[in-house]
Amino acid sequence: MVPRDSDSFFRSRRASRRAVLRAGAGVAGAAALGGFRATAGTAAPSSLQGGGSIVFLSTQLTPVEEAEAMRNEILKDFQGEVEFIAEEIGPFNDRVTAEAQAGKGTIGVLGGQHGDFSALAKQGVLTDLSDLATELQDRGFIPQYLELGRLGSQQLNYIPWMQATYIMAARRDALEFLPEGVDEAALQTSLTYDQLGMWAKNINDAQGQKFGLPAGEKGLLHRFLQGYGYPSFTGGVNTTFKSEDAVAMWSWLKDVWQYTNPQSVSYSQMSEPLLSGEVSLAWDHTARLIDALRQNAEDFVTFPAPRGPKGLGFMPVVAGLAIPKTAPDPAAARSLIEYLTRPEVQATTLREVSFFPAIEAELPADLPAGTQLEATAVQGTTGAEGALPSLLPVGLGDQGGAYNKVFLDSFQSIVLDGNDIQQVLDQQAVNLQAVLDATQASCWSPDPASEGVCKVG
Amino acid sequence: MTSIARDLPAAPRADREAVAARQARARRRLLGRGLLYAAAVLLALWVLFPIYLITITAFSPRDAVYDYPKQLIPGTFSAETMRFFVDAEGVLGALWNSVLVAVVTLIFSTLIGAPAGYALARFAFRGRDAFRLIVLSTRAFPIVILSIPLAVSFIEWGIYDTVWSVALMHTALALPFTVLITSSIFISVPRDLEEAALTLGCTPATAFVKVVLPLALPGLAAASIFTFVLSWNEVFAAVILTLRERTLPALVLAALNQSPVPFRLAAGWFMLAPSLIFIFVIRRYLLGLWGRVSR
Repeated sequence: MVPRDSDSFFRSRRASRRAVLRAGAGVAGAAALGGFRATAGTAAPSSLQGGGSIVFLSTQLTPVEEAEAMRNEILKDFQGEVEFIAEEIGPFNDRVTAEAQAGKGTIGVLGGQHGDFSALAKQGVLTDLSDLATELQDRGFIPQYLELGRLGSQQLNYIPWMQATYIMAARRDALEFLPEGVDEAALQTSLTYDQLGMWAKNINDAQGQKFGLPAGEKGLLHRFLQGYGYPSFTGGVNTTFKSEDAVAMWSWLKDVWQYTNPQSVSYSQMSEPLLSGEVSLAWDHTARLIDALRQNAEDFVTFPAPRGPKGLGFMPVVAGLAIPKTAPDPAAARSLIEYLTRPEVQATTLREVSFFPAIEAELPADLPAGTQLEATAVQGTTGAEGALPSLLPVGLGDQGGAYNKVFLDSFQSIVLDGNDIQQVLDQQAVNLQAVLDATQASCWSPDPASEGVCKVG
Repeated sequence: MTSIARDLPAAPRADREAVAARQARARRRLLGRGLLYAAAVLLALWVLFPIYLITITAFSPRDAVYDYPKQLIPGTFSAETMRFFVDAEGVLGALWNSVLVAVVTLIFSTLIGAPAGYALARFAFRGRDAFRLIVLSTRAFPIVILSIPLAVSFIEWGIYDTVWSVALMHTALALPFTVLITSSIFISVPRDLEEAALTLGCTPATAFVKVVLPLALPGLAAASIFTFVLSWNEVFAAVILTLRERTLPALVLAALNQSPVPFRLAAGWFMLAPSLIFIFVIRRYLLGLWGRVSR
């Protein structure tokens, strides 16, 4: 598909937020592709040239196929040898810490999600990459992502690498149960939370509990609450945590839970339940849906998350590239970052592993069917009327887990244990405030900016 | 039978009773044996059935993995997932590393553990019981808090990210068990035999090599299975201490958690098969000799 010129990736309606999430400047598709060709031959700035084998340790692209795609396709044209090693976050942190303590390292480049770097940045084991960002200015990094990379300090800890977000997916055979007044086209533009609930109920009446949420131990349900439920129903997160609108959101979720597959509390990702048909309607991270979409693209439809009374809340996720202070060859490490952020390499990354560019670039036209399904839903999300992007909390540092726990505990208490919503929210609001106080974090989008510590409302 | 001898006139009836009793006993024995076999089959199935399921799904086409209900007899055979997994960078190297680490661990832990076990079995010395306990207590120490200091030390010594560092770590993990298992094996070798060998002209060393060792071999083989499996399955130390020279569990850990089910099954089978082969090889050896020691 040739991208429509008005359909730039991650385009948001609000001017202040447009810059955050757009990856295209509204250039016509053909011109953009021409742009790719033009940049394909660009040589690296002379200061960035290095050589030798670089160890590239990453918490992203860990599945076998994605790691292989990284080695064989994405890194194919890099001048130099790269050993791409995928690692879980625990050993990832331990290893980098150990190398820093020994003062001698083998790792050249680190790849991880925004949150993966917070512990390392706090220990001060990452190189400041501000000068590299200046050197690579013409890549058009999304400015707010560069800001996130500072992790609240002066130093730029990582260079934006790629991004993802969350979308909805449904099996095609669930479409016959769409509520009245909603058709396949409307799914892409105007589905509301109420309609989604009705749809789940219709499916339930005919086939049983087939709605699914990743509420397992490793699932991302807390992101659904923080980035989707809360912003869409209340227009905020922290400042509206125990508001009346929040109660409405929780009652919606409690209601829909009746039609939700009870196995949801064990799902870490929705791709397998969707493939096996245990679930026919689900919300999840694009990287955690792609396997189903790749395998059976024709069986699925994808669409943006629904909209609530306050708009369409959604949450982009950014991954970055960092260099540890103990990197054996910093020049080579920099040249690898330069390579991975080139527009044509970002396009290959999207094509091969379905992570979207972190730079302002048009989407390539020749996407595989599964990736195209995701791209459509992502574009529908970011280009939607009233899109409300929530950035990941910047100032929470290592309190991220405690922050998420407040939301998951509320879910447990309200939805699973059936306790009174307002009461639970009043209790949990105290815990939430404690987390915010501990980190001195000020409010972040979509909450209005605050003077000093963000106040839970 | 004594009652029959005393009560001659009633012999024919007693005979019939005896026959009936014998038959009942035979029936009971048959039933008992049947139950025993049933239990054995059940236990075997309990272990074998998951292995069977892993095997057939590992060699099924990708979409067949998601079929529900599962087919017990695979319809189509496909080595595609398996081939992709095996061809993925580092898998064969990691397999080789795993074998190397396991073998080196086996050698190290036997060389260090068996003499310690022998000393515990044969000699009474002050603090023997304390030693036994202390050896075990090293296992109670959580390795998680050691991970960073260990990695730092190995980096400084220059053996970080090598087969040696992992083998050393695994030896340390396996030693307590090797020491305790071998000591109980050496206790079971009659001391008289060793003393007889000494009176017949053996030195303590040759008595050990020619008399004690052959008798202890099956037990040592059992201990070696334990060590091998421990090293083969150990993930935590292997993940922390290696980067490029991964062992198989360390390599698949990161990949498996996030990979689609077909790959998890393929990798699971790939990890399972070599250790099963090893156990089968050692087991034959073990059974061949076991009888001699225990009788």
